[in-house]
Amino acid sequence: MNLSSYETDIAIFDEMFLPGGEVRSHCRQVMSTLERMSSDEAAEIQERVTRTFRDEGIAFTVYGKSEAQEQIIPVDCLPRILTGEDWKLIEAGLRQRLSALNLFLDDIYNDAKIVSDGVLPADIVFDCPQFRPQMTGYSPPEKVWVAICGTDIIRTNDGFFVLEDNLRVPSGMSYMLANRKAIKSSFRRLFRACRVRDIEHYGLELNRTLTELAPSGSPDPAIALLTPGVYNSAFYEHVFLAHEIGATLVEGQDLVVRDGFLYKRTTRGLERIDVLYRRLDDDFLDPTAFREDSVLGVPGLLDACKRGNVSIVNSPGTGVADDKSVYAYVPDFIRYYMGESAILKNVATRLCRRPEDLEYTLDNLEDLVVKRVGESGGYGMLIGPHSTQAERNEYARAVRDNPADFISQPVLSLSRSPCIVDRRLEPRHVDLRPFVLKGKQSRIVPGAFCRVALRKGSLVVNSSQGGGGKDLWVLED
Amino acid sequence: MLARNAQGIYWLGRYLERADLLCRMMGLQVGALVDRPVAEINFSWRRLFASIGHTPSGGLFDFDNDDFTQADSFTLAGEATFEQRNPSSLAACIRMGRENARQMRNCITAEMWTSLNLSYLKFCESDIVSIWRHSPEAFFDETARDLRSFFGVANATMYRDEAWLFLLLGGAVERAQGACSLLLAQAAEEAKGEAALEYGLESLLAVFEAQETYRRRFGFEVAADKVRELLVTDRLLPNSIGSSCDATYEYLSRIGPAPNQDPGKPLRAAGRTCSLIRHDWPDERDRRKLIEKICDGSMLVHTFVDKGFFQYSG
Repeated sequence: MNLSSYETDIAIFDEMFLPGGEVRSHCRQVMSTLERMSSDEAAEIQERVTRTFRDEGIAFTVYGKSEAQEQIIPVDCLPRILTGEDWKLIEAGLRQRLSALNLFLDDIYNDAKIVSDGVLPADIVFDCPQFRPQMTGYSPPEKVWVAICGTDIIRTNDGFFVLEDNLRVPSGMSYMLANRKAIKSSFRRLFRACRVRDIEHYGLELNRTLTELAPSGSPDPAIALLTPGVYNSAFYEHVFLAHEIGATLVEGQDLVVRDGFLYKRTTRGLERIDVLYRRLDDDFLDPTAFREDSVLGVPGLLDACKRGNVSIVNSPGTGVADDKSVYAYVPDFIRYYMGESAILKNVATRLCRRPEDLEYTLDNLEDLVVKRVGESGGYGMLIGPHSTQAERNEYARAVRDNPADFISQPVLSLSRSPCIVDRRLEPRHVDLRPFVLKGKQSRIVPGAFCRVALRKGSLVVNSSQGGGGKDLWVLED
Repeated sequence: MLARNAQGIYWLGRYLERADLLCRMMGLQVGALVDRPVAEINFSWRRLFASIGHTPSGGLFDFDNDDFTQADSFTLAGEATFEQRNPSSLAACIRMGRENARQMRNCITAEMWTSLNLSYLKFCESDIVSIWRHSPEAFFDETARDLRSFFGVANATMYRDEAWLFLLLGGAVERAQGACSLLLAQAAEEAKGEAALEYGLESLLAVFEAQETYRRRFGFEVAADKVRELLVTDRLLPNSIGSSCDATYEYLSRIGPAPNQDPGKPLRAAGRTCSLIRHDWPDERDRRKLIEKICDGSMLVHTFVDKGFFQYSG
């Protein structure tokens, strides 16, 4: 492939090239393979990978005006590569962060010392729509509220930053594994030569984690994965994960609570469930505790959970810890609960609820990213430099009306990684979503769902908005 | 096994079996357009639509003009094959089968899913105009082959647990009902007093893939009573009603009792249907009535399976 047209930008970290254009040392093997490869060969690999995804139905569902459509996750066949050293930093940072977030959740639903000690304003916690008063006084097995966390990490010239924590129903692990399977078989020799660390045991690690969280401490608990159903955009992932962890894939209609225990309806009658890995938002879990109109959940589920008869993973109420306002305080949690400095940095965040931050945000809308605290998936945000004056005016009005609903951050130049676009190598912005697990111990596989903004210049990596995926290769030391 | 999964797998078996039968009927029908008389073509269209319980949106015409029959056949073939609004069309059966498989992906093997998904994607690339332009027979042959490959892959890769049995059960129940409906549609056409239509019997044997067996058992002379005898009672013929009812009984006994209040009900209903063929058939003069009874019995089995295993209150 002709690499001479590949553009680097000194202001943006490139995952494969140094600012002067030389190849980073840990990427040399990949680069020499690319140099030997013709454009036709690269295009063929790209097409084969895409076809594999299509044939195997590795898809997510998008909802248009008329009906739901299955869409294949676009995947770029060139891996993003991280050194063992980079990974060590990420791994240590994620383990630390998840421990602190769990301590925070157990604290606020019980003694709320962090509030009484003045580390965190009470209204940020208790006025947060994701705070669930129904969970007050509850403490899950091992005090693990968040057993599965997907953290979005970006890299700039100043290092790695946590963009957000996904603590409710994080998704993307199936794409991490599917990308690996497809890319590994496309670059067989290269994969072996690079000594890429293994991620295929993710299902086993997740199974071990869920087993450790069984309420009775049973060594062989019955695990089920609760899906909203086939119309959910991540249904493929639910099927995939249920298979990987040996769980029964259930919908709310398959479940019933009797005498404080949770059962599934089988062809042999009712059978008990010990651990419920839910992929359903809090609101829909139990119509007797949360939204009354939910038909996706199970009446009485929360009661069974609070009686200690079933573990819900992640616990209801965890959303308060990944709220965009609370995010700004995570480094403070780490210091408060663990006496440590955060290993992974936060992106500097201004909370518009504070008058000085509100003023700064409104004065600098053109240069900032402004987000609604309750939104996710890249929706509802303003990217200042890419916005029009009219959009900024409209957004400013909304911010002034409800300042507590907004935060602002500087526009960060997400790092770029080479992708095959129209048979050429072109840089595209990427981020990283590794998954960290916590049962009696914390676990992490050396890999991640690496998201790519496939549109040239775009910073939005979400699959619902034109993003795709890449395999992440973490190299052995 | 989760009741809902068992239901999904059961319906997967049913939809694909239904699609397979329709493929065989359509393959023969489009083949007939090449060289058969108009009366026979019209006869088979009526039989086909009656057997799938669907009335074409534009109605069925008995043209005695070759050009009109060909044009009408194009429309009818499109409706039976690609019309999504026709719940009995091939497209609807394959789509529903694939949708059930998609929902039950955790109960079937990856190989099964990929096999069916590829067949579905291939099917979606076709339309009535494109297949008509080339060889519609080849299209139906190929689609039937793809569907059967799915069952072959299932046979080779699926663990022999309840899911496997519910897949087979769905196929067997559908086969019995499809065969009954087809024989009843044939009998209804014959009762209209039209010519005995040897072609109708020949094509019936072809749909059941029973021509060779028939010749071995009865010779080359095709007679209506012998055709029925073979298609209803021959337990060695895979598509016969008898073998499908036997298979239904066998799978149900291997699945075991249902978890509802009357756990033996589905199996008893299946046993009674087998008994109709085994014990009542030889003495029954009104064969059409008996086929109706078998058809009702098979539907009852389905109802009891549905209520006993899938819809019980828990």
